[in-house]
Amino acid sequence: MTTLDASRPTHLNIEASSDNYLTHTRGLLSWAFTLDHKRIGVMYMFAILGSFFVGGVFALLVRTKLLFPDAVNWMTAEQYNQAFTLHGAVMVFLVIVPSIPAALGNFILPIMLGAKDVAFPRLNLASFWLWIFGAIFVVISLLAGSFDTGWTFYTPYSTRTTLGGVVWVITGVFILGFSSIFTGMNFIVTIHKLRPPGMTWFRMPLFLWALYSTALIQVLATPVLAITLALVAIERVFHIGVFDPAMGGDPVLFQHFFWFYSHPAVYIMILPGMGIISEIIAVHSHRHIFGYRFIAFSSIAIAFFSFLVWGHHMFVSGQSGLMGAVFSLITFSVAIPSAIKVFNWLATLYKGSISLNTPMLYGLAFLFLFTIGGLTGLHLGTLNTDIHLHDTYFVVAHFHYVMMGSALIAMVGGLHHWWPKMFGRMYSEALGKLGCVLVFVGFNVTFFTQFMLGSHGMPRRYYLYQPEFQIYHVISTCGSYIMALGFIITGICLLKSLFSGKPAPANPWGGRSLEWQCPSPPPHDNFPTTPRVGDCYDFSIVRWDDSAGGYVVDRSLDPELNPNAPKRAGAHH
Amino acid sequence: MWLFILTLAIIFIATILAFVIVRVGPMNDGHWPPPDAPPLPKALLFSTLILIISDATMHVARVAARRGERSTAAWMGVTLACAFAFVATQMLAWSEAARANMIVTEDLYAWTFYVLTALHAAHVIGGIIPMAVVTARAAGGRYGPGRDDGVAYCAMYWHFLDIVWLALYATLWWGSQRW
Ligand SMILES: [Cu+2]
Repeated sequence: MTTLDASRPTHLNIEASSDNYLTHTRGLLSWAFTLDHKRIGVMYMFAILGSFFVGGVFALLVRTKLLFPDAVNWMTAEQYNQAFTLHGAVMVFLVIVPSIPAALGNFILPIMLGAKDVAFPRLNLASFWLWIFGAIFVVISLLAGSFDTGWTFYTPYSTRTTLGGVVWVITGVFILGFSSIFTGMNFIVTIHKLRPPGMTWFRMPLFLWALYSTALIQVLATPVLAITLALVAIERVFHIGVFDPAMGGDPVLFQHFFWFYSHPAVYIMILPGMGIISEIIAVHSHRHIFGYRFIAFSSIAIAFFSFLVWGHHMFVSGQSGLMGAVFSLITFSVAIPSAIKVFNWLATLYKGSISLNTPMLYGLAFLFLFTIGGLTGLHLGTLNTDIHLHDTYFVVAHFHYVMMGSALIAMVGGLHHWWPKMFGRMYSEALGKLGCVLVFVGFNVTFFTQFMLGSHGMPRRYYLYQPEFQIYHVISTCGSYIMALGFIITGICLLKSLFSGKPAPANPWGGRSLEWQCPSPPPHDNFPTTPRVGDCYDFSIVRWDDSAGGYVVDRSLDPELNPNAPKRAGAHH
Repeated sequence: MWLFILTLAIIFIATILAFVIVRVGPMNDGHWPPPDAPPLPKALLFSTLILIISDATMHVARVAARRGERSTAAWMGVTLACAFAFVATQMLAWSEAARANMIVTEDLYAWTFYVLTALHAAHVIGGIIPMAVVTARAAGGRYGPGRDDGVAYCAMYWHFLDIVWLALYATLWWGSQRW
């Protein structure tokens, strides 16, 4: 097996197929009302990346303020509260929750199934427009006086704060919730109904297992968020409600409901990321994924446990000691399926012939960052250490390692992995790798420092702080600038490829699943007829083909697709 | 469709749970029900009756559609009329409550009454639109054996709303009692 990658020079000119989903029809309206899952995915992607930019600017504003321990004249304490709230709300609800399922998932899922589209294309388009309306409401909330509740909207503060944007943003998040629910339903039905011949449940690419588990959580947990936020909005309008202690309501009830959604939401963010990593690691080490069933089942196990651990966010909210202990124990059990995944990825890498392409770099970055993020979660899940660490920068660092260092890095890795497929262009490997390294270094400088800050006792969300913390804050802020530079370079790298990138072959990395067996970019219908599939991690039939300028999956060698195929030694089954 | 109903069911379960927790929770030291709380409006009994009848007519429509009988449209029409009657009766219940001094901004007891009934009524109104479409299609002879999905989905949704209403009504009644 060759370990060369597609970025090696080739004398061949691959002509992009003239009729693909990008050129199929023309004009703005043909995009706005498209039912094509690929176009919807691409629109989601650009919308989400735009939101990511906005959320990133708020993050940089917050970090820049924190260079100094005292008040600064260019940002008041009130503006600071709004900035970190907006950063959190935008990044969670507009970026990370929809990023992988709605953008990459929409594009890749039907192609991986060899299907022409998702089960309900109209519902899919509706989800996208709901997302847009949700985003519009978030923008309106800014014009209507903004909000400073933190992204968690904790009562009673969220029902009492005088800023005018709260009801607007809550409406926005409510709408975004339904966008997420509809995407989830669509994916569940699609995976149940549209699998191609030969693809049993345990033949599905692991990305699909991950999207399936994610969709289950989206459908089951998001309604609770929706009704909770609706109750908060009603309470703000009538000045009375179930969360108002003055009238016999219970503000802690809000926390229970909110975390009953928001802890599973963490897995809405991370599970699809794990799915991407399973694909990236298998493809770029050209080796059959190790422990397929373990990885698949651990996705389902994580989805299941995610509903039972919300109380670990509330150890200091006055819940009983027994409840705290039970939640703490169940929380630890989530570590088991997570660790199973990490060990299986490492085992896949071991003795694989690794191609260090940009997506693989992101994959390795994920392994490193997710391990740190996961292990520091144990400190927070332990009752007695959490009482010290609660609401400090340790928590901030932990969830950034998981939500950004893992989920978002996986998303960016997946973006690089499937970018040639989506747009039919190769990006510059050198620029891509430079961006990845800068993001990785910047990320660790930013957030590893915050573990130290937090364990020394610096509380999160504070505008002013003791001068002794300043050195950590300065280092952390420098890291965030490095990270910003890395993302800018990544953005330039990807955008540049659209205009001057080398045309991409159908299979630049040596992938095995169906999306690598249709042209880049895919035609409007993906496949003329639904193809049969064999073992989608059997890389022994993938070989480099000079005339194609990339890899090809030699279907004639697969005994499951061709009964006359020669028997091979060492084939994995 | 099952997924959709599951999603809605979770919304109602969460709401009822919130109601129960606030009703019996530690924060509720004599706030609720308030000492001069009026009983639940009588009109709710009528609306419950209407909803149960509509559930039965919906079931008949469903069976008729499966057999491809012409009466499908008529039974759907009766169900639709019941749905409008239900919403009207709920409005009567609201005005009856308002006359009995149940004011939404006054105490949680009144608040939950209005919010829970409004939440359910919103779902009924939301169901009337597709039901009207299905009724019109049934009048056009659209449904028959093997192609009765539209009626089947309407029936599922309607049975669901009926069950939810019975649960909500029981919860409200339980909340209005002094134990
Ligand atoms: Cu959690």
